[in-house]
Amino acid sequence: MAFFFQELVNGITTGALYALVALGFSMVYGVLKLLNFAHGDLYMVGAYIGFFVIRWFGGPTALTIPVPLLLVIMFVLAAGLVGGLGVAIERFAYRPLRNAPRIAPLITAIGVSFFLENSALLLFGAQYRIYNTPDFISFSTGIRIGSVSIDAVQIMCLLLGLMLMVGLRLLVSRTRLGKQMRAVAVDREAAEMLGINVNFTIAATFFIGSALAGVAGVMAGLLFNQVNSTIGFLVGLKAFTASVVGGIGSIPGAMLGGLLIGIAESFITGYISSLYSDLLVFALLIVVMLVRPSGLLGQVQLQKV
Amino acid sequence: MTAPEPPPDPAAPGPAAAPILNLDRLSLHFGGLQALSDLELHVDDREIVSLIGPNGAGKTTVFNVITGVYEPSAGDVRFAGHSISGQAPHRIAGMGIARTFQSLRLFLNMSVMENVLAATYGRTHASPAESILRLPRARREEREARALAADVLSFFGQRLAGYRWDQPAYSLSYANRRRLEIARALGTKPRLLLLDEPAAGMNPTETHEITELISRLRDERNVSILVIEHDMHVVSGCSDRVIALDHGVKIAEGAFDAVASHPAVVEAYLGRDPEALTEPE
Amino acid sequence: MSLDSQPSAAGPQVGADEWVARQGRRREYLPGRLGTAQRQFERIGFWPRLAVVGLVGAVLPSLGLGGFQLQVGIDTLVIMLLALGLNIVVGWAGVLDLGYVAFFGFGAYGYALLSSAQIGSHGIHLPAELSVPIVMVAAAALGLLVGLPSRRLIGDYLAIVTLFFGEAFVEFTNNVAPGDFGGANGIVGLDTLHGFGVSITSNAGYYYLLVIVAVVVISVLRLLDTSRTGRAWRAVREDPLAAASMTIPVNRVKLMAFAFGAVVAALVGTIYAAQQISVFPTDFDTPILILIYAALVLGGVGSIAGAATGALVVMIIYDGLLRNATYSGYIFYGLIVLTLLIKLRPWRRLAAVLAATVALGFAAHAIARAISASAVAGAPQSTGWLGDALRDWVIVPASPQALGDWGYVVLVCLLIALVQVKHPWRTVLLVPALYLASVVWETALAAQPAVTRQIMLGAILIVTMVARPQGLLGTRRVETPI
Repeated sequence: MAFFFQELVNGITTGALYALVALGFSMVYGVLKLLNFAHGDLYMVGAYIGFFVIRWFGGPTALTIPVPLLLVIMFVLAAGLVGGLGVAIERFAYRPLRNAPRIAPLITAIGVSFFLENSALLLFGAQYRIYNTPDFISFSTGIRIGSVSIDAVQIMCLLLGLMLMVGLRLLVSRTRLGKQMRAVAVDREAAEMLGINVNFTIAATFFIGSALAGVAGVMAGLLFNQVNSTIGFLVGLKAFTASVVGGIGSIPGAMLGGLLIGIAESFITGYISSLYSDLLVFALLIVVMLVRPSGLLGQVQLQKV
Repeated sequence: MTAPEPPPDPAAPGPAAAPILNLDRLSLHFGGLQALSDLELHVDDREIVSLIGPNGAGKTTVFNVITGVYEPSAGDVRFAGHSISGQAPHRIAGMGIARTFQSLRLFLNMSVMENVLAATYGRTHASPAESILRLPRARREEREARALAADVLSFFGQRLAGYRWDQPAYSLSYANRRRLEIARALGTKPRLLLLDEPAAGMNPTETHEITELISRLRDERNVSILVIEHDMHVVSGCSDRVIALDHGVKIAEGAFDAVASHPAVVEAYLGRDPEALTEPE
Repeated sequence: MSLDSQPSAAGPQVGADEWVARQGRRREYLPGRLGTAQRQFERIGFWPRLAVVGLVGAVLPSLGLGGFQLQVGIDTLVIMLLALGLNIVVGWAGVLDLGYVAFFGFGAYGYALLSSAQIGSHGIHLPAELSVPIVMVAAAALGLLVGLPSRRLIGDYLAIVTLFFGEAFVEFTNNVAPGDFGGANGIVGLDTLHGFGVSITSNAGYYYLLVIVAVVVISVLRLLDTSRTGRAWRAVREDPLAAASMTIPVNRVKLMAFAFGAVVAALVGTIYAAQQISVFPTDFDTPILILIYAALVLGGVGSIAGAATGALVVMIIYDGLLRNATYSGYIFYGLIVLTLLIKLRPWRRLAAVLAATVALGFAAHAIARAISASAVAGAPQSTGWLGDALRDWVIVPASPQALGDWGYVVLVCLLIALVQVKHPWRTVLLVPALYLASVVWETALAAQPAVTRQIMLGAILIVTMVARPQGLLGTRRVETPI
């Protein structure tokens, strides 16, 4: 039973990470109806930024600043830079294609993803970069409930993920920007005619979504320790599914989907085999999508005839 | 343009009195919304029936139920004596019910000719292998389909003249797109044609043309027609019978003049008590 | 509205819609001379054109192409055939299939399993003339199976499911039953293609075979396109509901497209596997999918000639030239100069930019040398006359890695900035961007050709889509918003 709960905790932590990536993906899909394949690669860039921040401040064993400050710098820098990168990508690659056939921005997104991934390969090499989190945040600082242990990094990631999700929910439901985002998501042209600055709203959405991916990247570095130029693709793929399983375009749906996939993956790895975890997750998702195409919390799109 | 074959289904012999289309106590609801309730409607052979009613009355929904886009919650749709409710749209189309769309759903990036040819799919049977090898059946069917398409397009005279046939459908003007929708529907060799606002967006001359065209369709191509139209010139000009709907319920039926002056119809269009609008509280 | 040219009495009545149609046609051609050539070429009928192209393809090896060029030719034909097959599903039926590469892998693995000693312990080792048809039939069945979700899912949802299918195939071959499927080590020792008394052993043989297969596949596709099936596919792409209302069984037609696409991919897969004499899971991963899509979208989705041309362009650049350090340098500088020649007008501004770039280079080089001799101690990656010409112009430090990396980041930022700013600043920014591009090329990009060509592929995709979304030979499509 302890094993079960341990896997559950691990699954929820990974799930929170997937949920953050899925949120950004879902938001972008909401406003542009675009499957942003480059989203997973933004996550990868975030993870690299975290790594270089650690190295900049002396490396994991000889930090020159206190750990909390380091974490704040990592997260803020990753959020800011990756957010900026997302906005630049939108401006450069997607905005010229707003009115092009649907396949064009999709192909562009694949191109951007390929470009980012290989740029990282060029700049940072193929080797895995290691965070060495245990060197500056001890595993022993954490909570133990019975034989289930939740270490400090997991707690932090969970709390941060939760905070960001609540914050995003409030942003979308309560603020002026959130209202504009929802309006653009429903009907871009109508929103434009009502005086909403559509370009700004879309850019803001990209910034927020990408920043979340950047934060998730740093979290991944802290949790899994390893960074490589190829980590983005698979996580991106799972984030797509998370948002689709939850109902694409729906924020609570993306959270739910992320958690479900994290937990499913954790249990498959724990109880069956890590070799088959990706394969089984994909199979599971295909089944979910066939049974409920609009996702768990998604709304069925009405088609006017 | 000379057609190498006779017009389709020349007055298909059947029980003389039996209507070609019969909606039997048809009901449809989406969740709590009652779109159609207990609708009784029939179209006789070679009859032109108009369906009128204010926006949201359920006119297009009737079309969608007949063509199989929606499955009725209760009741039955009978076409030429057979129940067709619950069948797939392409099967219903294959039986001889063709429609046009209010919002225009042409195959925009295909040529005018190809739009009509595509509609002959259900009347042709050559397998892909036969098509690739251009075996006799494929060649014969292709020839017949082209002849039919040419014949159907020529029905519109100069409006869809030969030089337009190889142009993409998106290059057509709005009115011509409406005409091509009708031509495409005729490409399926229908016995019953459902026209959804064929005169929408047309100028008075074109509207007049459409009115004549609808009558000609019945006279020359032997199709029965159910037409949704807001333009009362069209309705009065071509209909044998008019049916008025409101909130999914039939409120009047009969000759145009009778229906147009029917109190329920006036009320549906103008409100319960027109004077109440002008009176202060 | 009056038009300047009155129509002749006998001619058609010139109405607004005919004018629109003519304009619409005009836009489809390439700009300038290329467009004129394209029009001339189109005046020849489809079949003579195919015959000419096929003949040219067939005589190329006898013009003395070496082993490397022949391999590029084979790779190009493989990608061309895959792009043609993908075009059935994506271009005609309008179904976004992101798992298409799995059918290619299925064909290759099917052949590898049936026609090698791999599962000999189960007593299965078939001759090629038996295994290839079996694999093709099985691929058709798999295509139907993978296409099944298209009954319920549309658009992006289907795209995701097919993407999973593609990923699942790679995961499957990598992890499941390594004893039978080879795992990450793949399957080696395949039979070469043989059958009906012919045995293909040389690369030249495979090249000829692929040319023949390509001509046959293109012919079949053309015949399909102009048949009721082809029209039904395109009708379903344009508007599924309208297609169904016009007697077209939408689901069956979509499934047919999946099956046809799968058969083409599997056929190519068997030939590819036999030519490589081995299969590995990574041969059928996302990069190949991207290559196929790049070929298709660059050429023009929905057009046979487009798919073929796109594959030719993409593969000659990606596989032929970028793999070779000297050629890739020519390509890099050639593309830059060509772009400048086309895009930068008037001539005076072009001359000013070029002069300023040259001056900036020499000045930067001199300053760097004055600061530290080691800052310019390295040699540019380009060799030959190009390297000599650049030696005193481009800064290459003794250890070029750091400059290359930072230069790359700054260059990307500069390029993004270039798009944002308006006229005078754009010209001003162009000068350092050009110089920096050269520096980055000589210090970093040219040193890692394997990565660079992937980056270039991504960049080609992005730039093509932004500049010409319909591709080189594609038709600009009109889409009705849903």
